[in-house]
Amino acid sequence: MTTGLTTTTARTSTDIAVIGWAQAAISRRTDQTETQMLMTSITDALTPLGLTRSDVDFTCLGSCDYITGQAFSFVANLDAIGAWPPKRDSHVEMDGAWALYEAWLRLHEGDIEIAVVTGSGRTSTGDPSLIYPMEMDPYVLAPLGADLVTFAALQARAVISAGLADEKAMAEVAVRSRGKGSVEELLAGEYVREPLRRHDLPPITDGAVAMVLATGERARQLVERPAYITGFDHRTECHNPAFRRLDDSPSTRIAAREAGLGTGAPIEVAELQASFTHEELLLRHVLELGDEVAVNPSGGALRANPIMATGLARIGYAADHVFAGGTRALAHATSGPCLQQNLICVLEGRS
Amino acid sequence: MTRFVESTITFPYKRSLGPVTGAFMTALADKRILGVRNGTDVLVPPMEWDPATGAELAADLVEVGPAGTVESWTWVPEPTEQHPLDRPFAFAFIRLDGAANPLLHALDAGSPAAVSAGMRVAPRWREERIGHITDIACFVPGVRSEVDGTDVGGPGQPVELMDYTAAITYSTPVLAMADHALAATREHRLIGLRCPTCDRVYVGGDRPYCPVDALELGADAEVELPNAGTITNFIVVEPVQYPGQTVTEQFARVFVLLDGTDVVLTYQPVIDLPVGDIHVGVRVSAVWAPRDTPVDTFSGIGRPMGSLLGWTPSGESDVHDPDLVNRIY
Repeated sequence: MTTGLTTTTARTSTDIAVIGWAQAAISRRTDQTETQMLMTSITDALTPLGLTRSDVDFTCLGSCDYITGQAFSFVANLDAIGAWPPKRDSHVEMDGAWALYEAWLRLHEGDIEIAVVTGSGRTSTGDPSLIYPMEMDPYVLAPLGADLVTFAALQARAVISAGLADEKAMAEVAVRSRGKGSVEELLAGEYVREPLRRHDLPPITDGAVAMVLATGERARQLVERPAYITGFDHRTECHNPAFRRLDDSPSTRIAAREAGLGTGAPIEVAELQASFTHEELLLRHVLELGDEVAVNPSGGALRANPIMATGLARIGYAADHVFAGGTRALAHATSGPCLQQNLICVLEGRS
Repeated sequence: MTRFVESTITFPYKRSLGPVTGAFMTALADKRILGVRNGTDVLVPPMEWDPATGAELAADLVEVGPAGTVESWTWVPEPTEQHPLDRPFAFAFIRLDGAANPLLHALDAGSPAAVSAGMRVAPRWREERIGHITDIACFVPGVRSEVDGTDVGGPGQPVELMDYTAAITYSTPVLAMADHALAATREHRLIGLRCPTCDRVYVGGDRPYCPVDALELGADAEVELPNAGTITNFIVVEPVQYPGQTVTEQFARVFVLLDGTDVVLTYQPVIDLPVGDIHVGVRVSAVWAPRDTPVDTFSGIGRPMGSLLGWTPSGESDVHDPDLVNRIY
């Protein structure tokens, strides 16, 4: 496993901050198109800041053609950004958290001040249990219909065997995240994939998230308390979970170290993209988050899981903590089966 | 109620296997399972690169199994159409004898009570094998591999390609404005939408937005568009015989600038206009299906929009404007 790499940009001297964000159409099934969801979320993110689309110097959109069922679906989504006169624009076939990473890199060039990033998807368009196997290894996994929930169950077993979780602790995560039900009730449910029950799985959610970033002075002009990105890194592991230790997440550990976790002020809030209950328990362990850290006060991915936007929403909720006067928050986003690729973003406020 | 349209997209892939995965698949057809040496470990399935470091591995292939030990498993109570078995089964991480890592495959065990970590399992081979991961129909309890019927054998030659068909069914919302514009074509009318901010007019349909002002345009923005225009540009398509392609003859799609507007209809079919006669500046008028004929409600690039079947020469003189050719949107 590659552990020796360091990045010079992970901890940054240029001030780049999240200054606002908005969500649209977060629901089990919307009749809105992605373009409509993006139009609403971008407008709702910009308007409270007194900004319009003409103030935006760079956009980066995160979405997935596979989910939408339309080649180049992001081209239609450009209708939502007001790209005339022509804008600097990019797209990632990833969760919006990776679009944010690209915008953050772009702002480092120093010639522009404001960027908008989005994540959007309509999971309800297809059947996730039939779509996700197609993202697995095309030779030995996809032809078996090896699905995401099966892999999550195998990882849950590994996490339980390592003593990092049990079914009761997983149910407690579900109750806390969703704010409803009781552990006893949940544990009486049938297995979907042993040891996972319905409550251990994420909901199917449509929706879009838009976020506004600004550089130093401009950020301070626009909002009282920008959420400065002080550390940002992402790492990936082998695509086939059969080659990985599933009771660990070395990519998360490295990304967190590079993003500055373990130094500086304590983390007060951690928003983790844990789609399955055991993932939260594994991530808490790998990130060494103690009981003093509030994990997923938003309810996390177990409460709302808008595909391609869930990770970006974690960064939004972490920024909310700073906007409200907090000092330091951590956001995590993930992609691929069994936490294959992990991104850590550290946000800080200044007094 | 929003209308949802269902469509299935199928991608029939042929994947090149390369020297290592190809050898693995070729061996499966011969009821053998190969791994690759990585130091003292044997990785299964064999990889071209060390998954931990990315270092290229020498293709030092070695046989493993065929029996193995269940390391971990989960029960699949309701198999999907993509799963290897049509009855409840276990997906299991199986450490084949001699391997350093587990292989994921189906285990036909009858019930979850019959599965446990540490149990010994062996492959059940298909009677006819093609060099594919599903040549192993599944694993079964015990240490003796078996054939699911009469052993017909494999292709008898190296396997270099594999078929993989990805088919996904989507259910996509149809915007009210798209249906409204479609209904208007039944009355032989074309709907336009005028942006209240910039005054630009767009064709009504499934993208009822002003992309310049990022505004959604509703019924209050509606205007009538003319049924006549000028060809600004065109493409001649030589049909490639991909799966699903039914067209065999050369055909054209044209761009039509509607009279007195800035609206360009893109990728329009032409009627009674031979490919060789198409040029920039041809005056055309709309050709409509008779009012009582059923229309295709699926709009898509290059397809008729509702009752608007396409465009035909109106017989007027050509328009000579060197800028016309640039009008493709």
